[in-house]
Amino acid sequence: MLEVQDLHVGYGAVQALQGVTLGAAAGGITAVLGANGAGKSSLLRAISGIAPVTQGRILLDGRDITALPAPARARLGLAHAMEGRRLFRQLTVEDNLRLAWSFGARGVPLAEAIAEVHQRFPILGQRARTPAGLLSGGQQQMLILSCATIRSPRYLLLDEPSLGLAPIIVQQIYAFITDYARRSGTTVLIAEQMATLALKVSDRGYVLRRGRVVLEGRSEELLAGGSEDKLAANYL
Amino acid sequence: MDDFFFSLVLAGISVGSVYALIAIGLNLTFWTTRTLNFGQGSLMMLCAMLVVFLASQGLAMALAVIGGLLVVAALGVFVERFTIRPALVASGGSMGWVVSTLGFGIVLQGVAAKYFGSQAMAFPDVLFTTQDYVTVLGQHLSLQYLVVLALSVSLILLLELFVRKTVWGQAVFAISLDPELALVQGMPVRLIILGSFVASSLLAGVAGILSAQIGGTVDPAFGFDLVLFGFVAAVLGGMGCSVGALVGGLAVGLISKLVGGYISTAAEHAIAFALLMAMLALRPQGLLGRPEVSKA
Ligand SMILES: Nc1ncnc2c1ncn2[C@@H]1O[C@H](COP(=O)(O)OP(=O)(O)OP(=O)(O)O)[C@@H](O)[C@H]1O
Ligand SMILES: [Mg+2]
Repeated sequence: MLEVQDLHVGYGAVQALQGVTLGAAAGGITAVLGANGAGKSSLLRAISGIAPVTQGRILLDGRDITALPAPARARLGLAHAMEGRRLFRQLTVEDNLRLAWSFGARGVPLAEAIAEVHQRFPILGQRARTPAGLLSGGQQQMLILSCATIRSPRYLLLDEPSLGLAPIIVQQIYAFITDYARRSGTTVLIAEQMATLALKVSDRGYVLRRGRVVLEGRSEELLAGGSEDKLAANYL
Repeated sequence: MDDFFFSLVLAGISVGSVYALIAIGLNLTFWTTRTLNFGQGSLMMLCAMLVVFLASQGLAMALAVIGGLLVVAALGVFVERFTIRPALVASGGSMGWVVSTLGFGIVLQGVAAKYFGSQAMAFPDVLFTTQDYVTVLGQHLSLQYLVVLALSVSLILLLELFVRKTVWGQAVFAISLDPELALVQGMPVRLIILGSFVASSLLAGVAGILSAQIGGTVDPAFGFDLVLFGFVAAVLGGMGCSVGALVGGLAVGLISKLVGGYISTAAEHAIAFALLMAMLALRPQGLLGRPEVSKA
């Protein structure tokens, strides 16, 4: 269980989050929706320990981690696929995976973990020796997800995994996420602008607007209750 | 080939390999924090002076060297903790570290002058004497220069192997590329930064000892020129590139020795910096520096 209580995040004068409370149930997928600048990334970054929290608490399985530095949180089993295609661009695909694995939980031996990635995304196997910065956008997103999951995390934070990708790749990425969540039992928190996409795969959704939760509920109810248009008109 | 030219070449690459060592020390902290310890020269001086002092107190040479290196390593911790970390923590990227590391170097130089005097002290012959040589193909090769060259090149290769082949070495490189991503992936960034300052100080210490061995003396101002040439080597080779640092170091060493031998020693600095300026105008990323890898 990942819980966020009355979280405030501020960058100097800019208040990105103003008292957000939410929970991500163990083993489930939770969606955080919102328009540009709503505070989705700030929420995920605060959970990871790389955004300035001014007030509130973050709990992992009941343990208060608000004061822990980012690497310590990562060692507790938190993995974060950040926005902006963050990879070590000058390192090869293989080196990116190896580094991610090395500082993760090392649940499975490296060779096995890498073989699993190659089976799931064969293109990453073919391009193992290519610098990550030279991959296409879709391939980069596959690598980012693989780097996050190869750490055998207990909590997985995904920041707009669909951003800037062709619809067919988005489908592939989302199929991977749902499949991975089901197989591994990892607790997943996805930030998305594409509301329907995220609501279809999640159990519960929260809508953020200007740093506050303005709507929450079971994903199917959010999908049914307001049609997509209504959701968009009202909250996004 | 005439003997004079040949001896200059050997002296040049030997001294140049020490510049490369200094350059790599600068690279290390540049990788992890984008900062340089401008007190590096004083650390070189202090380490060499401590070795002279400890040896003069009757300590075995090996112990004197270890003692000097330990002190310098501890000062590396100090530099990271008190001159670099505050600047990095300050939001908006403070340039305070420039002043603090420079200040640290100047204070160290003052302290050394106070306790050891500002006179040059003779550095004992540890690695052969200046008179020892081997003859290869009719050329007299100074053993001291050869040993210094061999030592610094092996140290550089070891370090390069560490960076390329081990996960911790790769982590150092990863931090240079994206420190935030490194944090999120659970790399102990703080520890690695500290380690980079300790390693960088140790390299300075070794470089100090080797230069003092070649030069024969140390004085409190001794590190200043060295770190200047090390800096030129680092930038010339492409800041952050180890092979570049080696090439840059050898180039700077050779050129300065040849200029010193055939034109005048007074021109060494002028030529080195003219070289740096020309280099930067033509190849801003350095001889072997890599441009960013990215797809549009
Ligand atoms: N490093 C920063 N410094 C200052 N302000 C910031 C910073 N990061 C985010 N903000 C501000 O905080 C607010 C929330 O931004 P955030 O990136 O969390 O939103 P988001 O929901 O992820 O948006 P997007 O969909 O565009 O990624 C915005 O007003 C943004 O300008
Ligand atoms: Mg965002």
